[in-house]
Parts: sequence; structure tokens; C-alpha cells
Amino acid sequence: MAGATFEAVQKPENSMISFIRKHKIIFAVASLIVAGALWYLFRPEELFINKRVNEPAPFAANDAAQPIYTGTLSEKLHETSGRATVYRQPDGTLTLRLTDFHTSNGSDVHVVLTTANDPALQSKVPGKALSSIDIGELKGNEGDQEYKLPPNIDFARYSTVAIYCERFKAVFGTATLQPF
Amino acid sequence: MNRLLKLTSVAILSFAAAAAFAQSSTPIETGVFHGRLHSTSGRASIYKEPNGKLILRLTHFKTSNGPDVHVLLIAANDAQDNDNFLKNNVQRVELGMLKGNEGDQNYEIPAGTDLTKFHTVAVYCERFNATFGAAPLKKF
Repeated sequence: MAGATFEAVQKPENSMISFIRKHKIIFAVASLIVAGALWYLFRPEELFINKRVNEPAPFAANDAAQPIYTGTLSEKLHETSGRATVYRQPDGTLTLRLTDFHTSNGSDVHVVLTTANDPALQSKVPGKALSSIDIGELKGNEGDQEYKLPPNIDFARYSTVAIYCERFKAVFGTATLQPF
Repeated sequence: MNRLLKLTSVAILSFAAAAAFAQSSTPIETGVFHGRLHSTSGRASIYKEPNGKLILRLTHFKTSNGPDVHVLLIAANDAQDNDNFLKNNVQRVELGMLKGNEGDQNYEIPAGTDLTKFHTVAVYCERFNATFGAAPLKKF
């Protein structure tokens, strides 16, 4: 009885294998086609292969200043907003431009460059001195304005623009510069 | 008379061409990419060309490898890692297949695209319906 059951289960499988053996070439071609279709559908190699491109920037006139770093200003101790952008002028000098700019009124307010990890930036109250490169006294607390930057600034280190009140040692607002 | 007309029209045309060339493409919006799961980084900027055409440019760009990755403008303030726009029903403008997973690259934005509505760039894998990275754009 047990033998009969064994026969019944084994028989179709055996005939299947012999069928495949008989039509070896057809099965080989079919499996190749299936493999090819699967590869085309899933393109697994794209998960591993890098593709690097390097297209030029949209046309810019030679006499135009080019943005090289930019960041948006946000509030620290006083409401501050707008954008800070470092431009390279055609003559190679660098300028800092504030656009859509707004900060609070104050006395002896300066535009400075500082490091992102300066402890004074974390301070919730004024009175902590910021170590910084002075760019100049703030020309206006509202509106677009431009400042000349000293040469050889290491922007990887001095990556933070701060609006800083020298009198009360208060950081009004900051922008983190990132490559344009 | 005819010759004079021809000369003046040539002069006007060449002057117009020169004027067009003297103008630059200017960036009007910009933002930086974030995306941790597929480590996406770099900057996305929209340039307006002198003829009014809008170009999306990716710089310092890097994202992970993947199949069928596209660049989209989406009608959202931002997108998170692996966001599925199909499921979220996020409106999007297709800018094309990602040209490379590294490096500087430009994409034409279809004329008439409302940038006040579509103000986030997404690098999106269509195969798995997953966001690799997104860059919310702000006025430059």
C-alpha cells in the first residue's frame, strides 16, 4: 500500500524531468529569455554603478559676479530674516550680499563671520563674546546691502554669517553658508 | 533703399543677439538637499535664462545608486526619506531621468510651471516609489 502511494507521487515528477530532458534546448533558451527580461526589468547593476556627470552652468556673462556660497538668515536673539550670499567678482575679490534682509534695530551692530561651533551662538542671553572676523558695521537693518570681504577667508571654517551687536554682545541672527 | 533696409535689419538683429548674450542666466530660487536613508546631498537652484526659460541645476550633487530615478518638482513644502508620492497623492512635475547620481547637471522646467506651487525638488525612485532626497527651494 505504501509503495503504491510512493509510485503515485513520484510518477508525475519523473515524467516532468524526462520532458525537460527531451526538450533541453527549448528550456535553455526559454530560461535565458526569462533571465534577460528579469534583468531588464530590475537592472540590478544600477544599484552599484555610479554615474558621474559634469554639465556647465547656464550661460553667465563674464562680467557678472558669481555666487559661491549662500544661506538663509534665521533668528537667534532678535528677529532676523533674509539671505546672505558670498559673490566672487570678475576681478577675483569677494563680497557678501544681504538680500530680503530684515533685523531688529540696535546700536553698534556688525556683520561678522564666525565658526558654526562658537559657544556664543548657543547662548540664550546676551553678554557672551563671539570670536569672529569683522566684515563691517551693519549699513541698515532692512534692505539689500553689500560688504567687501577680506581675502583668504577659510569658508570651510568661517561658515556662519552673524548679525552681531558689539555693544551688548548679542547675536541677532545667523546664516550658515553652503556652496552654491 | 532695399539695401539700406537690409543693412538696418541686420544691424538691429545683431544688436538684439548681442544684447541677449550680454544678459546672464540668474538664479531665482535655491535650496539644499537632505536625505539620510539614501544619503542625498548638494544644492538645487532654479535659473531664469534671458529668454525666460527656467532651468533646474543641481550642484555638488550626490545621491545613492538606483534604478529608474527621476527628478521631480513637487507641490509640497518638503518631502521625507522614502515618501511615496503615489500613495500621498502629491502633485508633481516630471523633469526627466536623473542624468547621474553624482555631479553638476541641468534640467529644463516645462514652460508654464507654477513655481509658487511646485517649490520642492525631489529625487525619486519610480521603481520603488520612494524619495531618495528632497530640497525645499527658497527665493534667491
